[in-house]
Amino acid sequence: MYRKHTSRAAKASFAVSLGVALLIGLLASGGAGASPKAKPTVTIGTKNFTEQYILGQLYKQALEAKGYTVDYHENIGSSELIDTAFQGGKINFYPEYTGVLVADIAHQTAPKTAADTYAAAKKFEETSRNATLLNQTPFYDTDSFGMLTSTAKKLGVKAIGDMKKVKSFTYAGYPECRTRITCLLGLQKIYGLKQTKFVPLGSISVYTLLDQKKVTAGDVFSTDPQLQGKKYTVLTDTKHIFGFQNIAPVVTKDLAGAGGADFATVVNAVSAKLSLAAMRAMNKAVAIDKQSPAAVALAFLKANGLA
Amino acid sequence: MIVADQFRPGTFVDAFRFIGDHGSLLLSKTSEHLELSFAALGIALLLALPLGLWLGHRHRGFFFAATVSNVGRALPSLVLIAFGLTIFGVGFWNNTAALVVLAIPPILTNAYFAIDGVDRDVVEAARGMGLSERQVLLRVELPLGLPLVIAGVRIATIFVIATATIAAIAGGGGLGEIIVNQASYGLGGVVGAAFCVSALTLLAALGLGLLRRALSPSPVPGA
Amino acid sequence: MNALVAAGPVIPNFGQGSRCERTNGWWCTDWLHAHWGDTLQPALVQHIELSLIAVGIGFALAFALALVGVRYRLLDAPIGVFADFLYTIPSLALFQLLVPLTGLTVTTVEIALVSYTLLILYRNMVEGLRAVPADALEAAQGMGLTARQTFLRVELPLAAPAIIAGLRIATVSTISIATVAAFVIPQGLGRPIFIAIGQDLFKTEILAAGALAVVLALVADGLLVFAQRVATPWSRAG
Repeated sequence: MYRKHTSRAAKASFAVSLGVALLIGLLASGGAGASPKAKPTVTIGTKNFTEQYILGQLYKQALEAKGYTVDYHENIGSSELIDTAFQGGKINFYPEYTGVLVADIAHQTAPKTAADTYAAAKKFEETSRNATLLNQTPFYDTDSFGMLTSTAKKLGVKAIGDMKKVKSFTYAGYPECRTRITCLLGLQKIYGLKQTKFVPLGSISVYTLLDQKKVTAGDVFSTDPQLQGKKYTVLTDTKHIFGFQNIAPVVTKDLAGAGGADFATVVNAVSAKLSLAAMRAMNKAVAIDKQSPAAVALAFLKANGLA
Repeated sequence: MIVADQFRPGTFVDAFRFIGDHGSLLLSKTSEHLELSFAALGIALLLALPLGLWLGHRHRGFFFAATVSNVGRALPSLVLIAFGLTIFGVGFWNNTAALVVLAIPPILTNAYFAIDGVDRDVVEAARGMGLSERQVLLRVELPLGLPLVIAGVRIATIFVIATATIAAIAGGGGLGEIIVNQASYGLGGVVGAAFCVSALTLLAALGLGLLRRALSPSPVPGA
Repeated sequence: MNALVAAGPVIPNFGQGSRCERTNGWWCTDWLHAHWGDTLQPALVQHIELSLIAVGIGFALAFALALVGVRYRLLDAPIGVFADFLYTIPSLALFQLLVPLTGLTVTTVEIALVSYTLLILYRNMVEGLRAVPADALEAAQGMGLTARQTFLRVELPLAAPAIIAGLRIATVSTISIATVAAFVIPQGLGRPIFIAIGQDLFKTEILAAGALAVVLALVADGLLVFAQRVATPWSRAG
């Protein structure tokens, strides 16, 4: 008999907890207000490594300084994943490497010059993705075949083709490298290095694995600050499988249209300043000197009058 | 790192298809997973079980056991994995050590309370019959405390299998490697592997739960 | 100013990292000073938010379910089994199973975190409420207390120690599991840990974020012990 109150209490509690849950859910979801002006909201996405974080912050802060609202999604994933997110409308702006677009997303043969690569990438985006490319940056960042200098000396190799004489070796790279002609697939097919054993990278960087001698060689990026010292060596890519990899912002046609010339000017102004030296310096500041991508990007933009 | 291709419930169908198509891969990943888990559990049992049993037998170290339990619960598994990486670098020991640290508290604490809580009269009677201290522990206290001891091992096992999933980011392999590697296996693969590891943990939990029930002495009210 | 200088970019001097930072020392105090505000503190605040929301919702839900489970014994077993089941699923797996349904959002993380708190809280609440002696309830009825008064003034206070004990465990577990949330959303103390792992195992960041998570859990535990002593001074705490 004295248990009757528990059923009433139970109903009351259900109502209260539902109300609490709803309230918290509403508060937590917040809500990005639309820009009060006519400027479109830019939803920027980046891939999952240092240089991309810096690039994302550069474009984000430059746009915000000019009054755009930016919805920032860092660390989405590989090129394939971010392309899917882009097609699905989750983002409308991301910085991508031209060669990757042509060879790995469009699956076309890699052109022989940087300008041709850009043109092919732009054509692909305009015909297949309802998008376009803004201007490309002066700097390029290609994948490279890297290893410890001591290992290179021990194996006696200088160019990628020299690896043919090594009976078997391990090669570390991001998971998408396995199926890319600009990466493992190119090594196997174009260089004939069938004896490569692929080690996919997780959260751990390729330099950590190289340092701890867990892999023979790995997929490194040519703008990595670690490559500026003597510790690591990059083997020459005589057959140019790694292509030309300048950065160009991929934007939806809607965003380009809504933003107009003003939007393009802001973005292109940033891209124009991204020289190889600039990118290397920024990469070093984040990776070696452990500064935050946002702070480094802001310092660069301010120094160049863009923020 | 991890992203959904597209957010749709149909992914669950893809997941089952993935399980069907990649049976051997999942099997090898599962055995990797279990290898790591059992290695860690084995070491943890060796370290924690004798200590817990002995302390409980001597009715000493309550504060120690309680502290180990509290601190153990406060150690996030991801943090342990990261610490392991920092100390040992990439290899076998970084994940094993982290999992051992994770498994010790439940085993130790439960062993302590299991033995400590055995009815003192029964223990006295056994001593009165002339049994040595070691015989008292092994033949009287341990059988009576076994259910609680196994409960501790069960919790430790669940923790270890679950954390071995995260250990994939530190080179631990196992089913976690599929779960964190969406770029290679697609969202269907990730969800499929998530199903597998859940099933694995449930089986372990159920199995040890049954074992505990089987080894319980005749029903004690409130046990 | 525009056309002439447009040639090359101005590369500011970003400053060199300290010797400690460049050589990946164990505890670089200068990095901690510089990045407390932009990396560690936001992560800590997000972590506290995530945990509070999860424990709050979990507590409310568990309480409601416990009242049902105490009254309707038949429902107790299934609710208990279901909560048990949720608790056994590894956190990373549960996050990934939810992503196709609720996306890469805070919602996914919260659903998973709430599920984990449910088991602990539900069990403790049910046991706490059941352990209230029948004599006490009869005495209350005899004194003329209404059902509601009995619940608020007799049952709840007597069940409080068990409930708060469950709350302690649930809170610490939630803070611990919330580190894994960084797999899904870039929030919480797990995020600096991930970034640091990718940055050549940057020890200071890993240790700092990890230590913060552990300290947070211990502090929360301590606060709840204190709260229990204040709320129920007659019972032996912990």
